[in-house]
Amino acid sequence: MLRNKTYNRKKILIIFICCFLVLGALAGRLIYLMLFQSEYYQEQADALHERERSIKAARGKIIDANGTVLATNRTVCTISVIHSQIKEPEVIISKLSEILGMDEETVRKRVEKNSSIERIKTNVDKEIGDEIRNLGLAGVKVDEDFKRYYPYSTLASKVLGFTGSDNQGIIGLEVKYEEYLKGIDGTILTLTDARGVEIADAGEDRIEPVPGNDLYISLDSNIQKYCEQAAQKVMEQKSADAVSVLVMNPQNGEIMAMVNVPEFDLNDPFTLNTSVDTTGMTEEQKQDLLNQMWRNRCINDTYEPGSTFKIITAASGLEEGVVHLDDQFSCPGFRVVEDRRIRCHKAGGHGGETFVQGIMNSCNPVFIDVGLRLGVDNFYKYFNQLGLLSKTGVDLPGEAATIMHKKDNVGPVELATISFGQSFQITPIQLATTVSSIINGGTRITPHLGVEVKNTGGDPVKTLTYPTKEHIISEETSETMQYLLEQVVKEGSGNKAYIPGYKIGGKTATSQTLPRSAHKYISSFLGFAPADDPQVLCLLIINNPQGIYYGGTIAAPIVKDIFGNILPYMGIEQRFTEEETQENNIGEITMPDLMGKTKEEMQEILKEFELGVSCIGEEGTVTDQFPLAGETISKTSNVIVYLE
Amino acid sequence: MDQNRSDHMKTRYMPLKASQTKENAKQTGYVDLGLLCIVLILVGFGLVMLYSTSAYNGLIKFQDAAYYLKKQLFATILGVGVMMVVANIDYHFWERFAVLAYIVSLILSGLVLVVGSEINGSKRWLALGPLSFQPSEYAKVAVILFLAFLIVRNVKKMGKIKTMFLIMLSVLPIVGLVGTNNLSTAIIILGIAVILIFVASPKYMQFIGMGALGVGFIAIFLSLESYRLERLAIWRNPEAYEKGYQTLQGLYAIGSGGVFGRGLGESMQKLGFVPEAQNDMIFSIICEELGLVGAVLVILLFLLLIWRLMVIAGNATDLFGALIVTGIMGHMAIQVILNIAVVTNTIPNTGITLPFISYGGTSVLFLLAEMGLALSISSQVKEVSPPKA
Repeated sequence: MLRNKTYNRKKILIIFICCFLVLGALAGRLIYLMLFQSEYYQEQADALHERERSIKAARGKIIDANGTVLATNRTVCTISVIHSQIKEPEVIISKLSEILGMDEETVRKRVEKNSSIERIKTNVDKEIGDEIRNLGLAGVKVDEDFKRYYPYSTLASKVLGFTGSDNQGIIGLEVKYEEYLKGIDGTILTLTDARGVEIADAGEDRIEPVPGNDLYISLDSNIQKYCEQAAQKVMEQKSADAVSVLVMNPQNGEIMAMVNVPEFDLNDPFTLNTSVDTTGMTEEQKQDLLNQMWRNRCINDTYEPGSTFKIITAASGLEEGVVHLDDQFSCPGFRVVEDRRIRCHKAGGHGGETFVQGIMNSCNPVFIDVGLRLGVDNFYKYFNQLGLLSKTGVDLPGEAATIMHKKDNVGPVELATISFGQSFQITPIQLATTVSSIINGGTRITPHLGVEVKNTGGDPVKTLTYPTKEHIISEETSETMQYLLEQVVKEGSGNKAYIPGYKIGGKTATSQTLPRSAHKYISSFLGFAPADDPQVLCLLIINNPQGIYYGGTIAAPIVKDIFGNILPYMGIEQRFTEEETQENNIGEITMPDLMGKTKEEMQEILKEFELGVSCIGEEGTVTDQFPLAGETISKTSNVIVYLE
Repeated sequence: MDQNRSDHMKTRYMPLKASQTKENAKQTGYVDLGLLCIVLILVGFGLVMLYSTSAYNGLIKFQDAAYYLKKQLFATILGVGVMMVVANIDYHFWERFAVLAYIVSLILSGLVLVVGSEINGSKRWLALGPLSFQPSEYAKVAVILFLAFLIVRNVKKMGKIKTMFLIMLSVLPIVGLVGTNNLSTAIIILGIAVILIFVASPKYMQFIGMGALGVGFIAIFLSLESYRLERLAIWRNPEAYEKGYQTLQGLYAIGSGGVFGRGLGESMQKLGFVPEAQNDMIFSIICEELGLVGAVLVILLFLLLIWRLMVIAGNATDLFGALIVTGIMGHMAIQVILNIAVVTNTIPNTGITLPFISYGGTSVLFLLAEMGLALSISSQVKEVSPPKA
């Protein structure tokens, strides 16, 4: 037998020693990797494993001047199924299709689809989501999410705007104040395997979302509602294409209402508000229709202002001193400027008239004269000074710029047409702002909605301020304009807006849209009150009314109606002049005591007053009366007398 | 070979206990309990780690977290049984089958090239009904037996270079066949052959020349095919290559382990990042879960195993036994060293499994059979004494 020799053993030992050394070296390599390179590889590995999932931050609310919430969030749920965790597919299919009101086939398809996670339905109400969660079905996942919600759905739709699926503002204030409203999304740091599937029992790192700040706006939902109703009514009555109403505070530019009917449903902004048949339309055409629907005409569109622009011509003329209130003009029904014969709206002409009468009559030749007296340079100087040629800076997106002739191209004819508000275009907000600045004492204000930004706890974050420019016209001119425009409403073309007890200033306008051959009109009225201390300014524009289209006839009464409602609401009280008191039989009396009187005696007493009397019972003495004796009642009240 | 003894041994191929009752003086009944313990610890630890690393893959691929564990457990139980049986058979019994075993390994390795089933892009398995068999694992044992047999026959001429080359030449067919689709195992077989010849030869200087020759051969071999050079480039900077993905993921796992690791079962990298984490790269997951401490303990365990094998080899009653155990020791050492070296990106990537721990039924089965052989050889050791240098 062959022995295991010494040299064999020696060599075996050598092999072992070699192994020992090599394994020792490898252990050294491990020490290097696991101690000194550990941090580096750990970092790399973490980057590989970690996935960030964002938690949506609640978007800030939009709150009106009364504290009414106009835009908020609603919790909605997303229902999904995780295929690998499903235990009772049939139960899930029947329950989900029943609760979600979905087609069983559709649900079945999604439940049986072999994917890691399959969405069944999104935007499910929280109550329904809770109901499903409470069923405790294995493999069914209910995720909560925020969805923008507008409690008044159509109210001020084009002003507020809406958000897209990513909760980002698309139009209106939602876009403009995105940075304040959006908040900061939180994150959940989770670990995933190589397929990106989250590991259920891995510890989560959570960074809580920061909710967005609330935006407080000057818009008053009550005024907005009333104006929307009024606008809707006139749009229907006059079969108009659209009606816009702008109500603002001429002193500081705060917008109280901005109506553009037809409005649309903010909770469903991608459905057209008209019954236009979209079948067969391309996506582009459909998008165009939506864009049209979302347009805020008060800001996004320009129009020829027509006679309301005479306010600017008048103010410029007065400021420059080229015209005075008692200047005499004569209107033969037209004015020839160069080779053009420019007609007045009154075919026969207004005859001889003062400047005051000229503005009350809205006489074109008078304003042509004023415009020509001013000259191009002066006129444009005032346009610039009044801020008419730049944008108003309103805090809404997409404001259109004024479309005005290039100064060099303005000849006498152009100058004449500009004087009464034709041949150029401005936005309604520009007109309202410029007139506000003229009648508020001469301070150019910035129209705006945003007032303040507060955090969720109600602490102020930022008070929004807007630039103003003082003395764009003298206070004297401003006061004169207040007086002139009050005359227009009191006795002139705007008299349909007159409300006894209120000093209302205003100006009507009727302009023809381009092309003139289409015979489409824009009828408008701009009013403000009280005329001597303007607190509210209202511009109403009726687009393409059918039938009578004169601003003084159809637009002025609507503004009267609006003022009649919102002035008392704003706490502006009626103050009657002597004349008005008599004319409108306004006053109060103390209710006399009629108890125990006979019918004849009662009638004798009441003869002194002009009260309406209703008798209940034929003959006998008065047993009861309403109102009671001694109560202060209006002169024109009705009284009820019970006879027995 | 002493023919008389061989004949005599024929009569006593029976379990150890039974053999103790026989009057044969050479049989001491000694079993290397140390080796047995180390093997059982490794096997048990291997199963735990295998489950830890394979649960995710099993769940994803077969919807059964224990899929790999079950298969490995089956092979392990079978393997322990085989180990027990082999341990109780006098190892000389296998001597007569040495040449046959080698021929069979050649046939099987050839067969696998023709009818082998492909797993993960490699044709390395022979399907036997529900079971699959990897001939290359068997080939290692066959080569150890065959070379031990061959060297014992030519022991007088072992000093001669010619003999050395002839012996090397005799294993080249199997190296070639296995190397066709499993280069790593071919290298292991070659390594085992070199170790056996080195141990059997009384000389030293030749081997230095041989080593130099080997290095030159490797250099030529690598430069022959550009993809091998690419492997070198990946090895030097795994982050720059897409093919460095596996290496890099292994490094991430190792690096993430730190001193004490993430804890058993807590590996992130096994979740699909390290591809087939239960296979070649399992050591990286051990590092990630058990940290430097665990990893070094595993290395120590393997070093202990190799030490026990060395002790048995040094004390084997005859050269045949000594060479077999040396072969087994070489096998273990090469595989452990290469595996850890690859996983730690100490050498370029090549697919070598970690003995007893990586997934692979055939591997575990034959490793345990080898351990059975080593135990059988240890049982004939008269007295254990440390080898004298």
